[in-house]
Amino acid sequence: MNTLTVPASGATAPSRSRRRGDLATDAVVVVAVVAVLVVGLSTDRFVSYANLKAILTSASLVGIAALGLTLIMVGGAAVSLAISQTVAASGMVFLSAQSLGLVPALVLAVVCGAVVTGLQGAVVGFAAANPVVLTIAASFAITGVATGLTGGTSVSPSGTGYDVLNATPGGVPLCVFVLLALTAVVEWVLRRTGFGRSLYLGGENRRAARAAGLPVGRTTTVAWLGAGSLFAVTAAFTAAFNTAANVNLGGTLTFDAIAAVLAGGTPISGGRGSAVRTLAGAVLIAAVSDILLLRGYSTGVQIMVKGVIVLLVVVLVHLRSKGRAS
Amino acid sequence: MTSHPLGRPAVLLPLTAFGVTLVAFVLVPTYSDATIGSFDVYNTLQIFARLGPLALALGLTMIAGEFDLSVVGTYALGGMLTVQLGQEHVAHGVLAAVGAGAAIGLAQGCLIAGLRLPSMPVTLATYIALLGLTSALSGGLTKTYANVDVILWVDQTVLTWFSPRSLITLALFALAALVLAATRWGRELRAIGGDRRASRVAGVAVGPLLVGTFVASGVIAGLGGSLLSLSLGSANPDPGVQPLILAAAAALLGGVSLAGGRGSAVGLLGGILAVALLAEIATVTALPAYVTQLFYAGLLGIIVVVDAPDLHSALVRLRADLGPGNARVPAHPARNPHV
Repeated sequence: MNTLTVPASGATAPSRSRRRGDLATDAVVVVAVVAVLVVGLSTDRFVSYANLKAILTSASLVGIAALGLTLIMVGGAAVSLAISQTVAASGMVFLSAQSLGLVPALVLAVVCGAVVTGLQGAVVGFAAANPVVLTIAASFAITGVATGLTGGTSVSPSGTGYDVLNATPGGVPLCVFVLLALTAVVEWVLRRTGFGRSLYLGGENRRAARAAGLPVGRTTTVAWLGAGSLFAVTAAFTAAFNTAANVNLGGTLTFDAIAAVLAGGTPISGGRGSAVRTLAGAVLIAAVSDILLLRGYSTGVQIMVKGVIVLLVVVLVHLRSKGRAS
Repeated sequence: MTSHPLGRPAVLLPLTAFGVTLVAFVLVPTYSDATIGSFDVYNTLQIFARLGPLALALGLTMIAGEFDLSVVGTYALGGMLTVQLGQEHVAHGVLAAVGAGAAIGLAQGCLIAGLRLPSMPVTLATYIALLGLTSALSGGLTKTYANVDVILWVDQTVLTWFSPRSLITLALFALAALVLAATRWGRELRAIGGDRRASRVAGVAVGPLLVGTFVASGVIAGLGGSLLSLSLGSANPDPGVQPLILAAAAALLGGVSLAGGRGSAVGLLGGILAVALLAEIATVTALPAYVTQLFYAGLLGIIVVVDAPDLHSALVRLRADLGPGNARVPAHPARNPHV
C-alpha cells in the first residue's frame, strides 16, 4: 500500500525497507492492542456489548476530530492548537442556525469550520508559516470573536432538529457510525486520490514536492479545509449532545485529538500515517481509559496513562523509523 | 540580517511590545476613568511572577530550537507537591517541586537528545501524563495550603512595587540573562537552535546541552508552580491551557524565534512584561477579555506571517500565476529528487 506514497522514485530498495519499517510500526500497534485486550479480557465487565458501545462512543467524538488532524499531520504541518476553539465556534453556529433546519445548520457549521481552518492552512501552505504560532493566534482570534459576538453567554438551540444527531440506531450512537464512515472516506482519499499522494509527498519532503511541481500550497489548503470540516462534524455532535454551546465547548479536545493521532503511530513530522491508524489510536486510548475506569482508577490515573501511551508510541515509532533509515 | 541592532527582531520585538504596552499603561487615566497607582505596578509584577517562570522555561527551550509543552504540567505538579509536602516546612515543598521539575527535565532531555526525537510530541505526552499525575495526587480536587505565614510572606509588599515572589522571578530572569549573555553555554544554546548539524560538527556537546536546557526548563517551571500555589494558598490540579498560550505569546513577543537560534533573557523579560502590563490594563479599565484576545491574535498573526520563510516566494509565484501565459511546468516523475 505504501508504494503509493513514493511516486515512481525509481529505486526499489528504499521503498522495500520503508514497507518493512511501516510493517514494524504496524506490528507495534497490533502488539499494544493485543496487550490491552489481554488486560481487558481479565477485567470484570470489560467484555460486554454495553461496554463495547461505551468505548466506541467515547472514542467517536475525539476520533472524528483526530481524523481531521491526521490530514494536517500527514501534510507535514505538525499540529493545530486551535481544534477546541474551532469546535466551539462551529458548535455555536450549528445550534444558532437550528431554526433553518438540521441540514442547513450542519452545512453552515461545516462551512464555518472549513473556512476558519482552511484560511490557516493557506497561510501555512503558501507561506510556510509556523503552524504552532499561527494556530495559537487563530485560537485567540476565534475565542475573541465568538465571545464578542455572544457576549460570553451560551448559545441555545433555535430549533429541535439537532436532536437527530443524538439518535441511537440499533442501540449504537449515530456518531459511532459517522466515525467509521468518515474513517473509510479519509482513508480512501489519502490512499487512492492524487490529492492524497501529493499530500504524503509534500509532508515527507516539502522542497522535493515543490521541485517536482506539486501544488504544495494548494494541497495543504485543501487538507486543512477537510480538517476544518471534520472538526465541525465533531462540533455538531458535541453541541447536540450538550444542547448548548459556549466558547468552552471544545474542552480538552485539542490535546485529546493530538494524543489519538500520535497513539495511532502517525509521526508528527508528516509524510506518513493513515486514517485507520488514527481510528486505532482513538479506540486504544478509549479502551485503556475504560479498563482503568472498570478497575476503579481515578480520572487522574486515566489521563496519566494516556500520556504514557502517547509517549511510548512516539518513542517506538521513532525508533522503528530510525532503524529503517540506517 | 540588518546591521543596526534595533532592526533585529530579537531586540525590536520586545522593545516595541514593552514600549507600546508601557505607554498604554501610563496613559490609562487619559482614556478611561481609572487611575494608576503604585498598587497597579505591584499587580503587574504579580502577574509577571505568575507567568514569568513559564515564559522563561518555554523560551529557553525555544532558543535551543525545541518546544517544551510540558512546562504547564510541571507547573501544576510543582504547585501540588508544594502544597502537599510543604505543610510542615515550606522548604520541603519547594524542594520537592524543584526536584520533580529537574527529574522531569532530565528524563525528557535524555529522551529527546539521546534518541534525537522531536520535542513537541514527547513534551505533549509528558504534559498529558503530568496533568494526570497531579490530578491523581490530589484526587482531582483543589488542595489548600494551611501555612498562612508563608502565604502572607510571598506576597507582602517590598519596596512599594515588589513582592518576594516577583523579586525571585526577576532574579531567575537575571540569572538566565547572565548565563545566556556571558557564558559559552549561552552562545552554544543559540548555536544548536540555529543550526544543530553545524554546531555538532563545530564540536558543541549538543546532547548534554539539550539535557541541561530541559532540566533548567523543568526546574524553573516547577519553582514557578510552587510560588504560585504558595501565593494562592492552594493548588489546582488543572491550570488549563491559557498559561501555556500566554507564555508562548510572551516568548514570541520577546523576540524568540520558533525556528530556534534567536532570543535573549532580556527580550523574554520584555515580552512577559508586555503581557503582564496588557493584563493589568485590561483589569484596570475593565476591558472585555475578548478585546485582549483579539489583540494577542493580531499581534501573533503579524509575527508569524512576517516570519514565514516562503512568504516572499509565495507572493512572487502568485504574481507569476496571475500574469498571462504562465503555465506551470508539469511534474516529471523521473526527475523527482526524492531522497
